[in-house]
Amino acid sequence: MKRVVIVGSGDGGTFTANLLASKLRKEIKGGLVSVQLVGEHLLHPFQPGNLDIAFKGAVPDKYVRAETDLIRKGVEFIKDPAVKIDFSARSVATKSGRTLPYDYLVIATGAVADPSKIQGLAEGALNFHTGGADSRRVWEALQSFEGGTIVVAIAGTPHKCPPSPNEAAFMLDEFFQKRGTRGKVKIRFLTPYPRPYPAEKVSHVVEPMFQKKGIDVVTFFNVDSVDPAKHKIYSLEGEAFDYDLLIAVPPHHGADVIVNSGIGDQDGYVPTDKGTMRVVGQEGAYCIGDATTIPVSKSGVVAHLQSVVVAHNIIAEMNRAKGLLEYNGRINCPMEVGNHKGIFVSATYTSPPVDQSPSTVKYYMKRSFAMIYWRALGGGLERVFDVFFGQTRFPATEKEEPEKTAVAPVASQGGKREA
Amino acid sequence: MSTTEQRKVIDSRGSFCPGPITDLFKAYRSAQLGDVIELLATDPAAKADVTAWTQKSGNELVGIVDEQGYARITVRVTKKR
Repeated sequence: MKRVVIVGSGDGGTFTANLLASKLRKEIKGGLVSVQLVGEHLLHPFQPGNLDIAFKGAVPDKYVRAETDLIRKGVEFIKDPAVKIDFSARSVATKSGRTLPYDYLVIATGAVADPSKIQGLAEGALNFHTGGADSRRVWEALQSFEGGTIVVAIAGTPHKCPPSPNEAAFMLDEFFQKRGTRGKVKIRFLTPYPRPYPAEKVSHVVEPMFQKKGIDVVTFFNVDSVDPAKHKIYSLEGEAFDYDLLIAVPPHHGADVIVNSGIGDQDGYVPTDKGTMRVVGQEGAYCIGDATTIPVSKSGVVAHLQSVVVAHNIIAEMNRAKGLLEYNGRINCPMEVGNHKGIFVSATYTSPPVDQSPSTVKYYMKRSFAMIYWRALGGGLERVFDVFFGQTRFPATEKEEPEKTAVAPVASQGGKREA
Repeated sequence: MSTTEQRKVIDSRGSFCPGPITDLFKAYRSAQLGDVIELLATDPAAKADVTAWTQKSGNELVGIVDEQGYARITVRVTKKR
């Protein structure tokens, strides 16, 4: 029996479990392979929905499903948070005291948005990165906002969903335009980056639109602290701005289990090979999505594309598929820019974003992701994604041959979703 | 300047925008006045970005040296709240 343990039941963890259950259906049925998905929550959120909750008044329940409805037959979901990962013992300990031995490990523990890391931020700012309930508080604050200055600030990098602060500013503009009070509201955007969007070509789109909409941009603003009593936000560089309403992207760090296991960097992210997605220096262990140190967007699409590579590589290590694959760094972050227009921030490790124009088609494509997300988690849209995303993986240039731990051959590999 | 100033080398080679400037800011956040940060970057945008940041923030750009295949950008922390 080869045991695969996946820690974290968000986008990447759930999708990896489902891919393995699909491709190893017969092996799992025959008792040759087990796939255990270890997670903390019964409810699975569609996190990009937080923007709609915060700025369009969507109900949080709209973007939540039961995890048990999302996993395929063959995946054992263990609702019991992991508290320790032990590479040398090749096991995962859970909060309830269980020890789960593994032959293959997938770390998909995500990133944690943590306002407590900046003095005054938790008390002085609202945000849409710590879940549906907090996003709803933004919407409620907007209902009673009659006029004044709203500051949108990036209080730490890297953070989940790089376009989301810009989208927040665009959506605020649209909200007050529709309400007819835009003239009474000043929107100020504070960013640590040199330009409104870090990638220059994307900023070429965003910057003139911000100017046209009267969104004031302050660059090189690294948030130092917030004074909730004075309604003031300060930068490390010495600037300060007043606000009437502060909406800030909190600093992020890795999950507690990574920090407590001593397997992360100083921010709690796991050193990971950017191609094969193997944890650096660890046999049989992989890491995906927001949990890695890889310098690409922390986003669901990235986790999804890396999951495909990891599922394949684990199956290859079992001698059930040929050769390892490497992820090419493909990102695809949709950005809503207001008035039913959108752009895609697309790139790979070797190809930065290119010039583009906002379009209605891209806006509706972004909106459609919310509808297809749940189906995509099951693996049923991979052929569509392969066409849409193009090449996202390629055969590995093998640096170190993993030890083959063959599983007894089974006639064929399944494909149809069963649950 | 403090006699206990630290020199920290940040290796951002292979990382594209905003990687190098983000790495620099991470070091800046934990630095003391007088500390020196050396940023190693292959991303061509890093030189202009760091130069612009020092000009706006009042920190000192000590120098930019083109090494083989990368730039060594040295900053002294002279302005920090």
